[in-house]
Amino acid sequence: MRPFVLNYVLPAESPAVTLPYTYDSALQLNVLPDGQPAIVDRDLILVTGTTTSTAGSKTHFDD
Amino acid sequence: MTVLILTCRQDVTADMVIAKLHDRGVPLVRLDPADLPGEAALSAEYVRGDFYGHLSTDGRLLSMGALRSIWVRRPGEPAAHAEEPSAWLTAETEQALYGMLYSATARWMNHPCVSAQARCKPWQLSLAHRSGFAVPPTVITTFPRVARQFAAQYRDIVVKSASGPPPGDPPVSLPTTRIPPDTDFSGVAAGPTLLQQYVPKRADIRLTAVGTRLFAARKLSAEGQVDGRYGDTGQPWKAVDVTERIARAVRDYMSLAGLAYAAFDFAEDEEGLWWFLECNQGGQFGFIELETGLPIAEAVAGWLAPPSRDQG
Repeated sequence: MRPFVLNYVLPAESPAVTLPYTYDSALQLNVLPDGQPAIVDRDLILVTGTTTSTAGSKTHFDD
Repeated sequence: MTVLILTCRQDVTADMVIAKLHDRGVPLVRLDPADLPGEAALSAEYVRGDFYGHLSTDGRLLSMGALRSIWVRRPGEPAAHAEEPSAWLTAETEQALYGMLYSATARWMNHPCVSAQARCKPWQLSLAHRSGFAVPPTVITTFPRVARQFAAQYRDIVVKSASGPPPGDPPVSLPTTRIPPDTDFSGVAAGPTLLQQYVPKRADIRLTAVGTRLFAARKLSAEGQVDGRYGDTGQPWKAVDVTERIARAVRDYMSLAGLAYAAFDFAEDEEGLWWFLECNQGGQFGFIELETGLPIAEAVAGWLAPPSRDQG
């Protein structure tokens, strides 16, 4: 028998976002191609959704 | 004194805090436990009652004796990036790393043992009651008869998962879902089921607690919206004041749970009452700060950093 709550499962929305920044181990921060810290671009960070509560993160427990 | 941040490399929320620590001139080490062993290394000695421990990554060396605080943000699974990863290697690495860190005298945000209990949703409800929050009537049961009775009593109810969606490929989501009282509850016998009275809400509230500092944000709900994490309503998050009654309940909850950081979710009803939904011990805060300007990253940095000299 299928657990009751699984009757309400939906396909997850696929973010399919390519992150436009890379980790800089000297700064210990992610940086944009021009070398600036990624967090200076507020709109970009919001669009990528990487700081957002996503509900039910199984790996990191950070809803 | 050094701050240790356990998180993965892609975590830009950690970046927001690290930038503040850089501004303060606070030494820090950022480590992803997934990089241990390999890019990161450790050594700890437990000899005749003495303890010495060292951790190195990216050319930085951290002594446990110089550790001020540890922020557990989004750590990867220990040894996940090893050349030959295995469940056994993960377990061994976890013992070595966290055993060493537990032996240090640093302050934690949050201690992993505290976090493990704080993630338990049924316990959250119990703690929320004790702390003085309004909590919607809830049942977790494997008895279909009990589920039917709950639905008949409260009529307008939701079902939600306690632990999140099941893993799988393709990935699935499991939003909180409103269900009619005449639903077939026979499947309740196949797995514990969490049912809760539905709270008709006019807004979602996200309250982030950093130590004793509280930052609340409010977003208007769309009509009939149940789970605020799903569906873009087009409404922005806006900063909102915290009443003294809520502030007291949050601080009681944090104290009882032993948490240094938490993100609380509430549903605000038509009368303005905030109903406790859940408390996320590692909840995201970046989106709230970026939309509202609330200085949460600065507060986290302040909690992690050593007291400044001019504070005595």
